[in-house]
Formats: sequence, C-alpha cells, structure tokens
Amino acid sequence: MTTAGIVTVARQEFRVRLRAGRWKLLLIAWFVLLVLFTALATAAAGQLDGLQDDGVIVFGALTLFVLGLALLVVPSLAAQSVNGDRERGTLAPLQVTRLTPWEITLGKFAAAWVTALVFLLLTLPVVLFTLTQGGVTLGRLVVVGALVALLLGVVAALSLMLSATLSRTTTSGVLSYLVVAALTIGTVIAFGLGSVASQESYTETYPNVTCMTESAYEQLYREDGPRPRVDGSYAESDLPDGCTQQLESFASTRTRTDRIWWLLAPNPFVIVADAAPTLPALDPRLTGRQLDSARQARDADVLGQLGNGIRELRQGPSPVQQQVDVGYVAGGEDLPQPDRGPAVWPYGLVFDLLLAGGALAVTARRLRTPSRTLPQGQRVA
Amino acid sequence: MAGAATGVVATGVRRSFGAVEAVKGIDLTAEPGQVTALVGPNGSGKTTLMLVLASLLVPDAGQVRVAGFDPVTETDEVRARMGWAPDVVGLYENLTCAEYLTFVGEAYRRSRATARERAAELLAESRLEDYADQPVHVLSRGQKQRLSLSRAVVHDPEVLILDEPASGLDPRSRVELRDRLRALARQGTAIVVSSHLLGDLEELAEAVVFVDHGQTVGQHRVDSLPATGTVRPWRLRALDQKQLADALGDLVTDVSPAGVDVALGSEQAAAELLARLVRDGVAVVSCQPLGGALEATYLELTR
Repeated sequence: MTTAGIVTVARQEFRVRLRAGRWKLLLIAWFVLLVLFTALATAAAGQLDGLQDDGVIVFGALTLFVLGLALLVVPSLAAQSVNGDRERGTLAPLQVTRLTPWEITLGKFAAAWVTALVFLLLTLPVVLFTLTQGGVTLGRLVVVGALVALLLGVVAALSLMLSATLSRTTTSGVLSYLVVAALTIGTVIAFGLGSVASQESYTETYPNVTCMTESAYEQLYREDGPRPRVDGSYAESDLPDGCTQQLESFASTRTRTDRIWWLLAPNPFVIVADAAPTLPALDPRLTGRQLDSARQARDADVLGQLGNGIRELRQGPSPVQQQVDVGYVAGGEDLPQPDRGPAVWPYGLVFDLLLAGGALAVTARRLRTPSRTLPQGQRVA
Repeated sequence: MAGAATGVVATGVRRSFGAVEAVKGIDLTAEPGQVTALVGPNGSGKTTLMLVLASLLVPDAGQVRVAGFDPVTETDEVRARMGWAPDVVGLYENLTCAEYLTFVGEAYRRSRATARERAAELLAESRLEDYADQPVHVLSRGQKQRLSLSRAVVHDPEVLILDEPASGLDPRSRVELRDRLRALARQGTAIVVSSHLLGDLEELAEAVVFVDHGQTVGQHRVDSLPATGTVRPWRLRALDQKQLADALGDLVTDVSPAGVDVALGSEQAAAELLARLVRDGVAVVSCQPLGGALEATYLELTR
C-alpha cells in the first residue's frame, strides 16, 4: 500500500464526483441554510437578554444543527461508492490494476470524507461570527470542530462498507441512513429501554427527628444550630434535649443509569457535547444585568448542559444526588461549579473509531481479488 | 511449471457459482506473439475463464499461469504484465479521455509525467487525439471500445485478455481493431480474444480454442482446422448463373441471387471442380467456402 496509490484513487474519485453532481447549487443551499439558522438563533438569543456571552447559545445550537445536517449528507457521499462502480462496470478494471484493495478503500474513503469536510469548512464563516458574539473559547471551537470532523469520517466509513457489501445501491443508501439513525436516535431509544430494565427497588432510610417542645425545634433549626450530616441525620450529641431521632425506612425504586450510560456514549451529539470544554468561570467584575446575562448564557449553553446531563447519568442516582442537594442548601447560589464527574465521550469516540476501522477493513476485504465467493446476484465485471 | 512458459497456460480450469458449474475443465494455451481465439456459444464459460485469467476470480481447480505467474498467489506480478478489457465497457464517463488514461497509468504505478506521455501516445494510436480533452461520455460505441483497449495496454502488457472486443462495432472499426491487435501481436504480446465474429477471427487468430458447456472441445491452429477436410458448403458465382447451375448439375444444393451453392469434401475437390468448369467454358468469377473453416468447425464441435 502506498500513499501515491491512495492519492491516485482519491483524486480520481473526487474529480468524478465534482463533475457528476450539481455541487455549486448544493453548497450554496447548505451555506444559505446555515446563515438563516444562525440569524434566527442570534435573534432568539438576543431576545433572551442580548448582553453577555450570546455567542455561547448560538454556537451550541449551530453545532448541533450542523452535526445533524452533516450526518444526513455524509451517507449520500459514500453509500454508493463501491457498488455504484460495480454497476457501471468501472470497479473490475480498477481491481486488475496494481492498486491494492486498501489503496482503493482508503482512496474512496478519503474522497468521501474530504467532501464532507468541505461542507464543514463552509460553516467556518458563521462559526467565526458566533465567536465575535462572545463567550465561545477558541479551545471549544477547535475541539468541537475536530470531533464533528472525526464523526463524519466514521459515518463515511460505515456507508462505504455498506456499499462494498451490498450489491444494490438503493439498499446500501437506505441502510446507511439507518446506521445514522441507529447512532443518533437508536442509542437514545436503547438507553430509554435500558433505563426501564435497570430500575431497581431499594430501601431508603432517612432520619426522622421529633422533638417534644416547640423550643426544642427552634433550637434544632436555628441559624447557628447543629448541622446535619451528609445523609441528613444528626450526631447524637448535637441533638437538643427533648428531641429523638429515628431512622425510618421505606421501599423505593431508582434507575441505575450508572449501569447503562454507555448506551448513549456512541451518540455523536453526546460525544461532541460532552467533549466541549466547559466555559471559563464567570468574570468577577461583572455586575447587575451583565452578570444575569452571563448566567443565563451558561444556563442556555446546550453543549455544556448536555455534557453535564450525560455525566450525571454516568454517576447514577446516589449518593451524588444527595450531596449536590445538600451542597445547594448549605452553600447558596454561586457555589463553585461542582466537579462534572468522569467523561463519557472518550468511550463513545473510541467505540465509534473502532467501528470505522472495522468498516474500512471489511471494505478492503470485499475489494480483494481474485475472489472466491460472490454475493448473491453479483457479477464480477 | 512456473517460468517454463510465458503467454498463457491454463489446464483443467474449473469454476462454479453455487450450484452452477460455469467452467468444468478448460485447457487453453496462448503463445507470445500470437492471437488465440476463444470461441464458443453464449454461456459456455468464456467470460468466466477470462475472469480467472484476469486475476479476478479464484478457480476451484486447475493450473493457471499468466506471463509465467500464478494469478492467485502472484497477483501483483500477473497484473504488472497482463491487460484485460471486459465485455461490458465501463469507463468513468465524466473524465476526459486523456485524464482517464493518465489515471490508469498511475494506477499501474507510473509517474504522473510518464502516465501522461503514455496517454497521449495511446490516444494517437487509437485515433482519439481529437477527443483527448473531451469527456468520455461524448464518445461513440466504437470509440469507447478503442479507449477500453487502450486502457488495457497502458502498461505494455505481455498478455492481453479481450472479452468480445468487437461486439457491436461497425465493419470499419472491426478492421481497425484487427489491425491493432495484429500490430500488438507482432510486438510479442500474447493475445486471448473471445468473439462470435468467426469471419473476423479467421483473419486475426493463429490459434483457436473451442469451448462448449464449460469444457474445451478443440484446440487447433487456424491454418489446419479439422473442418477443412469435411464436407461443407461452397458458393460459386459466374457471369451466367444459369449456365453455371446447368454445368454443376446434381451437385447444386441451393441457388440464390448470391450464387450457386454446392457441397464439397475438401479444398482439393473445390480446385478440381473449378478446373472442370473453366474447361467447360463457364465464366466463373468466384468460388469460396461458405462461412469459412472456423464456422464449419464451430458448428461441428458445438453441436
């Protein structure tokens, strides 16, 4: 396998593609759609408050929009790459040259991926615009951009494999879209079903304090009164006279999302959102409406919120939930952001990349000649 | 066996697709510098055999050597020395002819510059130089066939496998194809060509392999076909058709505006008949075997 061989195939594929489709029209349509979306999102964010860090809101929405749209474009770039050539009788003449199966595979993959990246690159102007709206760090832009690019490559590789294993272009096209649906909607459905299955009943115990007198209650709940422990109980020595503490227990159910969080990990949206670096801490110089606006932007930061959500799912129902609640009661509003918990995206990304690698290996295998077996109804030449 | 022979040597090739046994014992030898015709009815296994020779299919059994190498175990060595033109001409319709041949050259590991030079040379050779910068889809069927042949010889192969290169071509294109293949053979290329145009093959090929039902039923030199010694139709024409028919008497099998047909057992018999007619004063203008020896042999072997 040589780079020159891969480049030869990729250039040729790219050229054929470029001349076959109405690319100018498609790219213009894509760009116009992005501009429209960004304009609407910016207007909406401005409506929200319009002072501080609006870029965060627009950038987040734009990222998910572009990812979703690109996931719909990519299958069409690769899903007919091999069986389309077979149908037109152009594959076998390629296979009898000295190009190796891997050169043909990677060349075709590169052509599809680079085309997808052209679409992605076209989003740069609007993305740079969101950067001027404030709040979005360069780090976030780079990480999100790189991950979207990688994930588009994953879908391209999977579509390519389908085009190499199925003889009909329509079948491979439909199945490629089903693969995208499986990664996006499928993972969510699997998680939803999984969460039902992962429900468990448990016995919850909580301390019940009863006091004999009104003053004893007052003593207990005074500003400078005793502090409850993490589980809500009081140390025996802290209890005022006349108060008794009993541990009461009752049966309850909880969803052990810490056991099934990985079902969501391969989801491209989850990976991108979770990997997006968190926003920098609030600027302490901000006051009044500007501070409110910055806080609001953080609340509307879809990437950050989605990331926090998925990490919470990974940690499961307890005891973290309680700690956070207690912390909130104790600390008041601007407590330092709680630790986000371990990341989910590396698992999803590694899984998806392994999937893509496997898909390319299968493709190369299917392109190997001389061949022993032929898929049903398939001619060699 | 390896290294013993160049050209193509295939013995006992078998290949089935599921329950269908497409090839069940084909032998074929193609010498360098010669055109070997592969002749047989549709579905007799010609294309399957050619796919085996072209390193696209693994045979179930049999020995195959192409340019001295095994297509299954020494695939790259074979591909560097073998060119193949399929029966279905598949070309990248959106590339220009020059771009296309340059691409194929690069696929054979030539540098861009070398590939470009070779493309220009081949376009001139196949009289497509006017179309160098035209997209492939503007070409006529005959022009596409020429381009397909050029693609197969981009890397100056020692062995050329051509699956029905003449099908659908007009007479002039067929003559040109014949001349081009003869020129390649003169340069030492071993050419295996399948075709149903037996008249063309007779003027093109040195050797012929007949296949039927997936098996070799005859392997002959074209100048010594067995059918040259069997009874077959000959057609004569004279200035006065009636006089000719009268002179031939009982020998006549058919009379048509194209001539008078007789059945003759050998070329010797034909020569003797012609001498008698001339002696009798019949103004004979032509006398030739109908359909040629190849056709006669074909019809006999593939009954």
